[in-house]
Amino acid sequence: MASTQILQRRRKSVQSTRQITKAMELVAASKMRRATEVAQQGRSYRKAAHELLSRLSTVTDIVDHPLYTKREVKTRLYVAITSDRGLAGAYNSNIIKLLTKAAQQDQKDNITTKAIIIGNRGVQFIKRIDAIDLLAAFPSFGDHPTANDIRPILTSISELYENKEVDDVQLLYTVHQSNIAQVATSLSLLPARVDVSDPDAVESLNDVTFEPSITAVLDNVTERLLEVQIWQAMLESIASEHSMRMLSMKNATDNANDLIDDLTLAFNTARQANITQEIAEVTGGAEAMK
Amino acid sequence: MIHFTLYSLDGVKFDDQVYEVIIPTLDGIIGVLPGHMPLISVATDGVILVRRTATERDDQRDVFAISGGTVQVENDQLRVLVDEADSADSLNEKEVQDAYERAKNLKANAKDHVSLQNAQAMMDRHAVRLQVASMKRRKK
Repeated sequence: MASTQILQRRRKSVQSTRQITKAMELVAASKMRRATEVAQQGRSYRKAAHELLSRLSTVTDIVDHPLYTKREVKTRLYVAITSDRGLAGAYNSNIIKLLTKAAQQDQKDNITTKAIIIGNRGVQFIKRIDAIDLLAAFPSFGDHPTANDIRPILTSISELYENKEVDDVQLLYTVHQSNIAQVATSLSLLPARVDVSDPDAVESLNDVTFEPSITAVLDNVTERLLEVQIWQAMLESIASEHSMRMLSMKNATDNANDLIDDLTLAFNTARQANITQEIAEVTGGAEAMK
Repeated sequence: MIHFTLYSLDGVKFDDQVYEVIIPTLDGIIGVLPGHMPLISVATDGVILVRRTATERDDQRDVFAISGGTVQVENDQLRVLVDEADSADSLNEKEVQDAYERAKNLKANAKDHVSLQNAQAMMDRHAVRLQVASMKRRKK
């Protein structure tokens, strides 16, 4: 039977751990709410940019634009969004798993794999893998990324694509389906595409003036659309990170509770055993005196 | 009246009927009034000025600092898509001034072309925001 002192010390330490995990759970919950709100606000932007692009596709041959040209894939670039901090369940490992699997497949198909990683967790991992050529690494942008944060990523991927250094760009991020379901997915960024579901429904742009030129406008709209895609992926990932952290911290708190219950029980038993033993000793002594 | 909607990455910043909007574009500053010809253009970093009614004075106009985007005018509908739009009310002149100084420092200490360019872009952006923030002061 462990001594009561040791049991009490362990119980105290588990109690303070519970306090920390509980606090982390609450912090993650409020950060998650904000991130999901902001992610939703980007939707109207995306819709407006997409609408404009599908209308542009009626007046110009979009396929001739360098960012829309499909090429045979020899080099594939992955942009993966991970976090700087751990303790978020399988958040980072899901993305890393997805990336390594894709890289293995590419190796079989004789495709060179390159990567741009956001978040220190992912960077640390990828540095150790020789098969993946790490082009750039960014620390995570915190809970409130700005348009300025994602611009370097945007310009580097479009430059790489236009210079034909990469032939395909995939964005790996975590979709925030709900507070309990987050899925690591891959989204194809480049070559860019326009999905015109119903070409007749798209209003034509025939009598519209373009300033300074239709190509400049197309460049700009494409950039907007790529930007909003990265932006939304980033926010969905942030929301996912926080909900996964919230869930894993909730589990940790529950475990700590169970542990505290067990330790309290063991402590009480030990204390009672001590008392019983002391009484037995006293009565035993008294008995012997007779 | 024209309907003006200002979309930015973090939400719709303006959505209302207005009389006149002044927008900086690649080809110069344009003013959009009711009955404007259909136009699609590229916006640059600068200041958007919104006059809600014909009688509104210059210093009563709504002001937004924007960084690059797309402008679309059609059937008295004006849609502007930008990365970032800051209204005068959301900017603190002191903070923006500090940010501007920081960008200036960065530019002075830039070692290569890339960081110089980045610092210059940042400086331009903050200069616009500073302009907007000081407009707010004059209004009071």
